[in-house]
Amino acid sequence: MLEIVIQAVVNGLLIGGIYALVSIGVTLIFGVVKIVNFAQGEFVMIGMYITYFLFSYLGIDPLLSLLVSMPVLFVLGVLIQHFLIRRVLGPNDMPQIFLTFALSLLLLNLALLLFTANYRTVHTFYSDEAFHIRGIYVPVAKLIAFVVAMGLSGALWVFLHTTDLGKAMRAAAQNRDVATLMGINPNYVFAVAFGAALALAGAARSLLMPFYSAYPFVGQVFVLMAFVAVVLGTLGNVIGALIASLMMGVAESLGIQFVGADSGLIVVFAMLLLTLAFKPNGLGGGRVR
Amino acid sequence: MTKDRARKASGNGFVADKTLLKRQSRRKFLKQTGAALAASALGAVPLRGWAADPINIGALYPTTGSMAQIGVGCVAAAKLAVDMINDAGGIKSLGGAKLNLVISDVQSDTTVTRTETDRLITSNKLSAIHGCFASALTLIASEVCERAKVPIITGSSSDQLNKGRTYTFTPFARASQFAKAQLQMSKLVSDQPKVAVIFENTAFGTSTSNGLKQQAPGEGVEIVMFEPYSAGFTDASPLINKVKASGANTLFSVSYLNDLILIVRTVKQVGLNVAINGGSGGFVIPDFYKNVGKLAEGLQGVAHWNHDMDDNAQTVNTEYKKRTGEFLFEYAGGLVAQTYMIADALERAASADPQKVREALSTLDVSSGYAAMAPGGKVKFGPDGKNVYGRPLGVQWQDGDLASVFPKEDARAPLTKT
Repeated sequence: MLEIVIQAVVNGLLIGGIYALVSIGVTLIFGVVKIVNFAQGEFVMIGMYITYFLFSYLGIDPLLSLLVSMPVLFVLGVLIQHFLIRRVLGPNDMPQIFLTFALSLLLLNLALLLFTANYRTVHTFYSDEAFHIRGIYVPVAKLIAFVVAMGLSGALWVFLHTTDLGKAMRAAAQNRDVATLMGINPNYVFAVAFGAALALAGAARSLLMPFYSAYPFVGQVFVLMAFVAVVLGTLGNVIGALIASLMMGVAESLGIQFVGADSGLIVVFAMLLLTLAFKPNGLGGGRVR
Repeated sequence: MTKDRARKASGNGFVADKTLLKRQSRRKFLKQTGAALAASALGAVPLRGWAADPINIGALYPTTGSMAQIGVGCVAAAKLAVDMINDAGGIKSLGGAKLNLVISDVQSDTTVTRTETDRLITSNKLSAIHGCFASALTLIASEVCERAKVPIITGSSSDQLNKGRTYTFTPFARASQFAKAQLQMSKLVSDQPKVAVIFENTAFGTSTSNGLKQQAPGEGVEIVMFEPYSAGFTDASPLINKVKASGANTLFSVSYLNDLILIVRTVKQVGLNVAINGGSGGFVIPDFYKNVGKLAEGLQGVAHWNHDMDDNAQTVNTEYKKRTGEFLFEYAGGLVAQTYMIADALERAASADPQKVREALSTLDVSSGYAAMAPGGKVKFGPDGKNVYGRPLGVQWQDGDLASVFPKEDARAPLTKT
C-alpha cells in the first residue's frame, strides 16, 4: 500500500514538473506584461515539432536541441511582443485576449496544414528506460525533464531577484507607471519577459518529446493545466505557479489511484475551487514575486 | 490534398475541356461554361446530351481534431473507392452515373457532427452517407440521418447503432462481438487469464468494455480490474500503477491512438509483464507502429477488417499504399467495402432516391466482389441493420505489419506468444 502511494506521488511530481514549465511562462507574461497568453500551448507544440525535426533529420537528441530551441523561441517571443503585443497594450483588455487567441488558432491551423494531424514521436535510447528502486520505478526521460525543469525555474528565480534586468521586470510588474518614472523602459522589459516565457515553453517541449507525441493539438492538453496552476498559484507569481503545478501533478496522480482513472482532474479542480473559496488570490496570497 | 481537390473538380466537367476552349469562340465558351456553372449551382438541372447526373454520397469524417489522422485516412480511402467504381463505369443501371463524394469535416466533435450532418443533408441531394469512424460521432450522425430519411452505412462498432433505427446499416462486427473475440484470444495466450480492463469513458470505450465485463464469466475469464479513464491524458503512469497493483497478467486497453502509445510505453517502463490486447481503435493503424516501434511487436488487437483478409482486400491495399505510402487500415478498408455496398444498392434500386437506396440496402446479399470484403466474406443485413454474418478478426503486430491470427478460419499467420 505504502509503495503504491509513494509511486503515485513520484508520478505526480514528475508530470508536475512539466506543467510547471508551461505555467511559469504564462504567469511570467501575466505578471510582467499583464496579458493572458492563450497561445502559450501552441508555442509548446511548435517547439515539439522543431525538436522532432531536429531529431529525425539531424539526429540531435531532444535534450541537446534545448540549447538551440530556447534561444530561437526567445527571439520569436521578443519579435511577437515587439510587433504584435505592444500594439494592443492599453486600458482595454479585449484586444489582447483576441490577439493571443487568434495567434493560438492561427498557429494551430498552420501546424495542421504543414505537419498534418499525425502523431510523431521521438524514440531515444532512454525513452522507455526506468530506474527501479525498491519496487518504485522512475522513468529516465521524465526524471531528466523534472530535474531540468526545476533547474530552469530556479535560474529564472535567481535572474528575477539578483540581476538589474530581473529587478526591473519585477518593478514593471508591480507598477508600470512608477517603473517608467524610475527610468525603466517597459517595452524592453516586456520583450525580454515574453521571450523568456517562450523560451520556457521551448524547454518544456524539448523535455516532453522523449516520452510524449507531438501533434497539432498537443498544446491544448497542457495549457489547461497551466492556467489552473497559474490561478492556483496566484496570477503573476512564479514560485506560486511552480508549487501549484507540482501539487496538481500529485493531486491528479493520487486522484487517479484512489478515486478513479476518469476522475483525476476532479481532484485538481476541486482543489482549485476550494483554494479560490478560501484564498481568492491563490496560494501565493496575492503577492507578486 | 489541394492537388487532389483540383483534380477532382476538373474531373467533374467544365474545367476539364481545355481543348474545347481553344477550338471554340470565346462567346460560345462563355455561354457554355455559364450554363454549366448555373447547372452545377442549381444542382438538379438535367442537361440533355451530357453524362448522367452524378450521384452524391456524403462522407462524414473527423479530418481535424483529436481523431484527425484516422479521419484523413478514411477520406483517402473513400476517394479511392469512388474512383474505382467510377473508373469501372459508374452505376450502370443509371446510365453509367458517376459517384460524387461530398466530404464534410466533423472535427472530432459531437456538436459539430450534428450541425454538419444536417448541413450536408439539407444543402446536397444525397443518396446515402457513410461515416464517422468514432461511435460517439456516428451515433449523432445516425440520429440526424434517421430523421432526414437518408441511409447511413458505418463501420462504427457501438451496439447502440442497432437499436430503434431503420436507416442505419452496420456491415461489420459489433462491439459485443469484439469483446468475445478478445476474451477468447486471451485464453490462447495464458491458461488462467487475469484481465485488467482499462477504457476511455466514451461511447466506444464504455460499450466495448461493458461487452467484456458481461461476457467474461461465460468465457471463464477473470476480470481483476475494470477502470474507465478520461481520454487524452498527459501521463499514463498512475493508471498503469493501478494495473500493477491489481495483479493482472493480461491488459485490455480500449483506447484511441495517443493514449495507447503512452500506455504501451509506460507498461515497458514499469517493467510490467502483461499480455496486451489493444482492441481496435488506435491500435490497428500504421501510426501506432510508427510511434511505438518494436514495443508493438506481438501485441494483439481486434479489427472488423484487415488488409490480408482476401485477394480483394490485398488489391485495394496495394492501390491505397501507392497513394498514401501506408497500408490500408481497418476502418478505411471497411469503408471501401461500404462504398461498394452503396454502389450495389444503387445498381439494384436503379434510382438515386435515398428511400429507394435504403430499401435496396436492406435486401443486400453479397458473397463476392469488393462489397463482400468483410471477415467471412458475406454481407446481408438483418432487420436491425446488422450484418447477419458479421464477425471480428483477431490481429497481431508481426514484423511491423498487422497479421490476422484469429479465429482459425480467418487466420493468415499463427498467433505468437510473447
